[in-house]
Amino acid sequence: MLSSCRSDLRLVLALAALVLVLAVISLMSGPASITPRQALSGLFDGQGAEGIIVRDIRLPRTLLAILIGATFGLSGAALQGLLRNPLAEPALFGAPQAASVGASFMIAYGFAGATSFAVPLAGIAGALVSVGGLVAIAGRRASLTVTLLAGLAFASFAGAGTALILNLAPTPYAALEVAFWLLGSLEDRSVDHLLIAAPFLLASWILLALNAPAYRALTLGEDAAASLGVDLNRTRMMVVVGTALGVGAAVAVAGSIGFIGLVAPHLVRRWVGSDPARVCLPAALMGAALLTAADIAVRLIPANPNATAIELKLGVVTALIGVPFFLAMIFRERRLLEGSPQ
Amino acid sequence: MSAILQAQGVGVRLGGVPIVNGADLSLRTGELTAMVGPNGAGKTTLIRALAGLLPFEGRIAINGRALAEISARERARRIAYLPQGNVFHWPLSVADVVALGRTPHADPFSGITADDRAAVVRALTITETETFATRPVTTLSGGERARVALARALATQAAVLLADEPTVSLDPRHQLVVMQLLRDAARAGGAVLAVVHDLALAARFADRVLVMDKGRIVAGAPPGEALTAERIAAVFGVEVIPVDVGGATVPVASRAI
Repeated sequence: MLSSCRSDLRLVLALAALVLVLAVISLMSGPASITPRQALSGLFDGQGAEGIIVRDIRLPRTLLAILIGATFGLSGAALQGLLRNPLAEPALFGAPQAASVGASFMIAYGFAGATSFAVPLAGIAGALVSVGGLVAIAGRRASLTVTLLAGLAFASFAGAGTALILNLAPTPYAALEVAFWLLGSLEDRSVDHLLIAAPFLLASWILLALNAPAYRALTLGEDAAASLGVDLNRTRMMVVVGTALGVGAAVAVAGSIGFIGLVAPHLVRRWVGSDPARVCLPAALMGAALLTAADIAVRLIPANPNATAIELKLGVVTALIGVPFFLAMIFRERRLLEGSPQ
Repeated sequence: MSAILQAQGVGVRLGGVPIVNGADLSLRTGELTAMVGPNGAGKTTLIRALAGLLPFEGRIAINGRALAEISARERARRIAYLPQGNVFHWPLSVADVVALGRTPHADPFSGITADDRAAVVRALTITETETFATRPVTTLSGGERARVALARALATQAAVLLADEPTVSLDPRHQLVVMQLLRDAARAGGAVLAVVHDLALAARFADRVLVMDKGRIVAGAPPGEALTAERIAAVFGVEVIPVDVGGATVPVASRAI
């Protein structure tokens, strides 16, 4: 057990270094080309055009990618641990979809400027309704089938809600704004966005990470976990609220971004094994690395060569890369997922 | 010998339906108690209530303190519970699974203590699971899994061990090994209650046998008194032949009535 702790530490340090390297690349990436040296000096002294670009434009974006990626990675790992299922992720509960309904309502009807608390609060409320509703409907001894079906129903209902908002949008411009926002992006996010989202994201990390020992005990099933002293109701409640806070705030700031929560825990399991408690921290770091890398990619791949200012949308990239990757991984590791001898 | 876990007038309803009625029992330190009864008699429901996992009427006390008065963590340190089915949702290593038995003792700030390590090693050794301690638990056979599950429960080193059908899916040798382990755990100062379907195993290994029928405990006595041919016929609907095994007379079912 000690040796596994040491190898975990090595992995965590390696992933943290990866996130740092990606962060520096992210500070360098964009329409204005900046060398690593300029990026770092701009970051620390804030002088000149590079300083403004790095500090005011690229730094908030990079930090948001790291925080939001980590939130998705951690909430995926937490939900997989709680439900004892490697396919669980926030989208299974319809959480991002429901958060989108709340946030897009605020945006479409102009109740909120982009940097007020109304959008994240509406997003969190939406996520809370979906995740809380799912846990309430699915009940205490939810089978996976019931959970999946209820999650599917919530996701579809939330999708219809968003469609309704687009449908009834007061102006075509508002509809377009919501539609683009739904595709997910970190373009033009400022320090204000960061300050609004960060407290919710950090609160969600605390709630989800505190329950790591419970995820491990749940390996033995709910009865055995309860007999080991785990308060299942409290664990469920904390994971529901933690996921809603994190996903709600993330979706409110960055729009809909999928697959990080599903892919990040899977990627780290090959190194840390299947212990759902040990997966949490590496999955968060892997999520941060994935989203930062995706956010670099959208800036490097021109969406329209004639209008270089328009970027690919982040949610599009994570889904386009994430889905085939995930299918390949399932194909490769299906024996492990099925739990049969290797 | 002193009673460590006592139940008085315990009733349990599931979905409004009474499953267990007026159950009185006491588990004593140093004793292995077997609980037998036909399918649907309420054995699992009663054992889950004793483990503090179900709301119940009546009173269940450990060391004279009502179950409801002690914290879940305190309860988990005193009562180890081995559920039916030996479920393992993730392919953890056998050693990591057994270490889960130390969860009630875990202190987030001290990590794994020497006591934890000794308890895990001991549980692995006595259940003969140490040879595959590093293998993923999901790659084991049914019998191996059953022993790992038992090792996990033993690793808690609780004063009371409640085991729900610990010998199911075991070959004859390991059935004997597990019953002996449970008796050893009792002799080492524990109070052990095991749900057992094999009347012969119950008669041979248990110090006392509880017979459950239709939600009630209809007998609680040493095997010879509890497992009479008349009672077995009335409760299980089978005729038995008494067979002498190593000095103990055990009932072997011969014919359905």
